[in-house]
Amino acid sequence: MDSLPENLKQPMIDLLLAVADDKLMLGHRNSDWTGLGPILEEDIAFSSLAQDEIAHAQVIYELLSPLVDKTADELAYGRSVDQYRCAQIVELPDNFDWAVAIARQFFCDHFDRLRLRALSHSSYKPLADVASRLAAEEQVHVDHVDAWIVRLGRGNDESKRRLQTALDQLSPMAPMLFEPVDREAELTGAGLYPQAETDMFHAWRDVLQHVAHEGGLALELSPPNAGAQGGRRGHHSEHLKSLLDEMCEVYRLEPGVAW
Amino acid sequence: MIDTEAIMDVLREIPDPEMPISIVDLGLVEDVRVETNGEAASVFIDILPTFVGCPALPMIENEIRTKVGAVEGVGEVSVQFIYDPPWSVDRISDDGRRSLAAHGVTVPEHGSKLDVPGHGSTVELRTSAIACPFCGSNETRLDSQFGPTRCRMIYYCEACKNSFEHMKRV
Repeated sequence: MDSLPENLKQPMIDLLLAVADDKLMLGHRNSDWTGLGPILEEDIAFSSLAQDEIAHAQVIYELLSPLVDKTADELAYGRSVDQYRCAQIVELPDNFDWAVAIARQFFCDHFDRLRLRALSHSSYKPLADVASRLAAEEQVHVDHVDAWIVRLGRGNDESKRRLQTALDQLSPMAPMLFEPVDREAELTGAGLYPQAETDMFHAWRDVLQHVAHEGGLALELSPPNAGAQGGRRGHHSEHLKSLLDEMCEVYRLEPGVAW
Repeated sequence: MIDTEAIMDVLREIPDPEMPISIVDLGLVEDVRVETNGEAASVFIDILPTFVGCPALPMIENEIRTKVGAVEGVGEVSVQFIYDPPWSVDRISDDGRRSLAAHGVTVPEHGSKLDVPGHGSTVELRTSAIACPFCGSNETRLDSQFGPTRCRMIYYCEACKNSFEHMKRV
């Protein structure tokens, strides 16, 4: 179908915001490394990841634009903190700890790829077309971060210890990527977000554990508690406000002006 | 009377801003429609982006508007970026492949599978099956999946000690 049923517009808006907001914040965090990557290739890689994620966010905001009567820029920069639908893991500063940056990327990129692959089968054709394009690009991110997980895991005692610490730090929070948006089950029921809820979590956990074990790393992941409320319902960490203050600084000087 | 072939001739002269190849040889042009109502013809052009984050897209759009808009008899020019069908390296023409190879950029063969290191199972950036465009050796290895543009990766040839670029299989 090319247009959405009226009664499912609101949950679809929330879902698309979740996808785009995750990508925008992760892209912003990736761009923190521009000029500061540990090696030149990685500086280029993280800058390219940022370029991809922010462009992906923009395409999704453009899909949303006619549904909410706002421009992509207004959606990206013009909301209050509680109106964002990103998961809390993308908000965290990594404090320029390479292991934390890689661990976060590992959890988020695999989730993003699975979510995009599900959306590429959406009955809403404009979304399915875009999602299948984005999923192909996301595969490159996944390959890249997997290589880093195994490399650091097999590197030396220090690289292994630091990555294990980062995985342990983030693994309790990472499953909240799967927190559903309000009325998400109705989207799934209508074929707009085709997925088997438990299957997607298990597919994610299995592939992450497979890669981690290849690097000799331990990784335990449990599904999010039913009813736990986080970023998908607008409950954010204190880090999102400071991230937005920095990211939106120029936009807020004169909203709507063409720079 | 303007027909789609006349518009295609104009598009064939528009180079990609980041590669030595025209946007037609790169396979970006999916459809051209001409509608004549009265005096001026309206032209509708569907373009497939290579990568969504490609910064060349606005440049390509502007160039198309300018060049096609300058054709006598053309009024409105509408450029739309679409994702169905998705762009793929298989859309690059044989002429385009030769031109890229002459500039040290190789392209995956038609219909080949993913040629980046396999998902979740690779530590070594291993010797590849991608022949060096300068010396033809297969003693090449992937140096980085991220290169000067979003659609290209960097390879290194152990035989002739040159770096070269390879287009991603998407």
